[in-house]
Amino acid sequence: MNKKIIAALYKKEMTDILRDKKTILMMIVVPLILYPLIFIGSMALSASIMNASTSSTYRIGFDQVPEAPELRTFFSEAAKEYGYDFLYLTPNGLQEEGNGAVITVLHEDGENTEYATYEEALKNGYLDAYLTKETVGAADGNQSGEVYRINYLASETDSQTAASMIEDMLEEYRQSLREERLIEAGLLPDDILYPISYEYQDMSSNEETMGSLLGYIIPFLMITSILMGAMYPAIDTTAGEKERGTLETLLTLPVRNLEMIMSKFLATSTVAVAAALLNLISMGILGAYMYESMQAASDVPMEFNVISYLPAIFIMILCVAVFALFASAVCLCVCIFARSFKEAQNYTTPVMLVFMFAGMAGMIPAVSLDGSTSLIPVVNVALLIVELFKFHFDMGLIAMVLFSNVAYSLLAVVIMTKLFNSEDILFGDGTGSIRLLEKRSDMKEKQMPGIGDVVLLLSILLIALMLIGSIAILKYRAYGLVIQQLMILGITVFYCWYIKTDFKKVFHLKRPKIGDLLTGTLLWVGTYILMMTLTVLFSAVFPGSAESAGQDLLNIWENAPIWLVILSSALLPAICEETAFRGVLFGTLQNKCHILVAVLITGVVFGLYHMNLIKFFVVGFFGCVLAYAVYKTGSIAVSMWMHFLNNLFSVLLTFYEDQMASIFPILFREDPGIGELAIFVMIGVILFVVSILLLRRKHFNALK
Amino acid sequence: MIRTEGLSKKFRKVKDEKQKTLNKKTSYEFYAVDHVTMQADDGEILGILGPNGAGKTTLLRMIGNLMKPTEGKVVISDAEGGEITDQIMIKTMVGYLSGNTKLYHRFSTREMLSMIAKIHGISKEEQQDRIQEICEVLDMESFMDNRIERLSTGQTQRANIARCLIHKPQIYIFDEPTLGLDIISSESIIEFMKKEREQGKTVIYSTHYMEEAQYLCDRIVMLYQGKIIAEGTPEHLMQQTQTTNLRETFRALIMGIGGETDE
Repeated sequence: MNKKIIAALYKKEMTDILRDKKTILMMIVVPLILYPLIFIGSMALSASIMNASTSSTYRIGFDQVPEAPELRTFFSEAAKEYGYDFLYLTPNGLQEEGNGAVITVLHEDGENTEYATYEEALKNGYLDAYLTKETVGAADGNQSGEVYRINYLASETDSQTAASMIEDMLEEYRQSLREERLIEAGLLPDDILYPISYEYQDMSSNEETMGSLLGYIIPFLMITSILMGAMYPAIDTTAGEKERGTLETLLTLPVRNLEMIMSKFLATSTVAVAAALLNLISMGILGAYMYESMQAASDVPMEFNVISYLPAIFIMILCVAVFALFASAVCLCVCIFARSFKEAQNYTTPVMLVFMFAGMAGMIPAVSLDGSTSLIPVVNVALLIVELFKFHFDMGLIAMVLFSNVAYSLLAVVIMTKLFNSEDILFGDGTGSIRLLEKRSDMKEKQMPGIGDVVLLLSILLIALMLIGSIAILKYRAYGLVIQQLMILGITVFYCWYIKTDFKKVFHLKRPKIGDLLTGTLLWVGTYILMMTLTVLFSAVFPGSAESAGQDLLNIWENAPIWLVILSSALLPAICEETAFRGVLFGTLQNKCHILVAVLITGVVFGLYHMNLIKFFVVGFFGCVLAYAVYKTGSIAVSMWMHFLNNLFSVLLTFYEDQMASIFPILFREDPGIGELAIFVMIGVILFVVSILLLRRKHFNALK
Repeated sequence: MIRTEGLSKKFRKVKDEKQKTLNKKTSYEFYAVDHVTMQADDGEILGILGPNGAGKTTLLRMIGNLMKPTEGKVVISDAEGGEITDQIMIKTMVGYLSGNTKLYHRFSTREMLSMIAKIHGISKEEQQDRIQEICEVLDMESFMDNRIERLSTGQTQRANIARCLIHKPQIYIFDEPTLGLDIISSESIIEFMKKEREQGKTVIYSTHYMEEAQYLCDRIVMLYQGKIIAEGTPEHLMQQTQTTNLRETFRALIMGIGGETDE
């Protein structure tokens, strides 16, 4: 790596970026003009709404309320204290009680409008709300209650406000009646109604209160604005350079990949940091302005020590800088593989969405910065800013956040350098890897999904599982599992249908041979024993992880009939999960990379999908075996059969413990001897190896 | 002196034009450049001729190290007889120009030249002299400080040549340098090539203009389907095919092996 070359390239990138008007616009106009406009605009808007609701007069009426005159007097008195203003109307415009007769409203221009009832007057906007009175529960003559009903329209803002005002008035009225009656009974109202009193005392400083408020808004704004700042230069220096044809010129120079990408990364980061700082400054000025105007408006001057924010601001600038590195690295990673400006923009949109969602982490009350969240990109920065504004300085965590962001960025740069093959991008033929983005009418019949399709589909599945699947399981338990599995199948099949996939090929739809199914059974037995061994081994390494997973399933199965358990936990997973993992995932990878890599990735993804540490290894292993079986036999039915056997066996072990214990005593032995275990594992290994050999042999014969 | 040893490049090509995906089943591999071994000496202009799709550009890109060969290598021998195969080293010794090497629009010619000089590791003082010298040679004084996006086609082409000159390369690789230029602009490029030859530089260039090649080239390599089908001085090739000008030579050679010319 030659520093001089990087410096020269960096200067070139910066000049190139800064001479582009669009970048300047994004960098300066957005933070310095748009934010204040949005802030001041929204403040003005909310202020005007507030003013409008408190200052205007609300028109209310009393429909057949006997004590209406009394109430009116009371309301008028009490309303002064609240600052409310009422106009008491009857539908015909007179301040009298109507009685259901046809009422005429006289307009100034001589036209008359007639409202037959209060209800009609309310619905036509002449009244904001009206009160009716009923007597209930007086049948036996002992206890009678009077119910006032506030009639209003929830769809109208004015009507809502009027209704809540009336509620306040009625509460006052009730209070006054209470006191009156207590006095009548010869009691002291204060003693009975207010035997004790309490009040709030805010012990946090003004700075802390303000800080926690800022902590909610700032992370999200910062993260979004840094990303916006990084995105444009990232696109410009990669896809833009390619589109303008200067990338080939750059390649004629004695520049290495690392130097080229490093300079682009540094330039993008510089712009992102600058954009972020401009944003910070803009927000700072805005904050000062708001503070001043608040000071001017309030009678009690707020004690506010700006100096106390300095450490937080200092760390935040650091944090913003490292996050700008990370955002730039991510943007470059995405854009560097794009062949045109437009394609790059398509790629960055999902990144933007993910960042924005992650940036909201600071608003979730239960999530806080700790050892594990400090390692999650984007989320860690959002949470750290929240902590800073609460004046919590945990140096260890701060260091972790800063360090992890730098580490991720450098990792991304290194990976990019390795992956970036200028030839493919420069002289490639321009076929994207996400078929979904093409127009459906342009899609070829019987195509195979791209890697991008698989990633997208798996992400959709993951989100659907987390949002819909988990709620379904919580609510409907075993039936929820059925829903979850059908969802996996449905989404997968729909996606593949939409992009016009060659179903037969991608899903390995082939009638299995009896021999293959038998070999599959044998392979499963061997694999099962190995899986058990792995579970025992990993349980020793990660205690607790196994039990939590088992307990979850038991809760779901509770009270469910056995047929439902078998359906939801054995049959459907075998069909649906195989369709997604050994179907689309493996079927696509198989054509794109080396077969061992495809098998391994399928296993890892399948393991991750089970979201449990031990299961990751055990199930991941199973996933690899299943993928291999599909590869060798060419039929997904074999892996479905193995998957079914496996899940069924687990169900049977749980539900028919006694019977199973008598058939397979070894599985239930509390304290088996080493020798016994060794033989058990041996059998597993032998079965596994023999069946794998059988599969290979078959393939070999077929080739002949 | 620069030479290639069994230089080859494999590409993937779809069997069916409608097919968009490139994988093992929908496409096949073929040699765009098929084991080309050739040599260009100091003070020589070597012409690479061939119909469209013969692999001229791919060959030149590999010689300029813009593309990695699938097989074979490019070797430069220096005056002391040492051999250089390192990619980056070769790039410092080569000036590469093609229709695809566009310039940075937002830079002025002077800025771009000094940026490139810096990357080549030329010292600041030398940069100034060098830029001034090139500026005079190519008569660019009037537009040196204008942004490249405002230059005319001819001016841009001169700026592009200046880009190849800045580091005093030993070898020039020009991929159809006169394509789409008017007579005066092309002549200035041709003059430039001749001048560099006199100074003992090597020029490898491809073109579709046969008259130009006949008049300019010391030697010619005829490429067809990635392979060399003929090699020699223009006179030698004409004799071989019993033709009177290179245009007919070209036709005779291509037709002779059952090909079609695009001319």
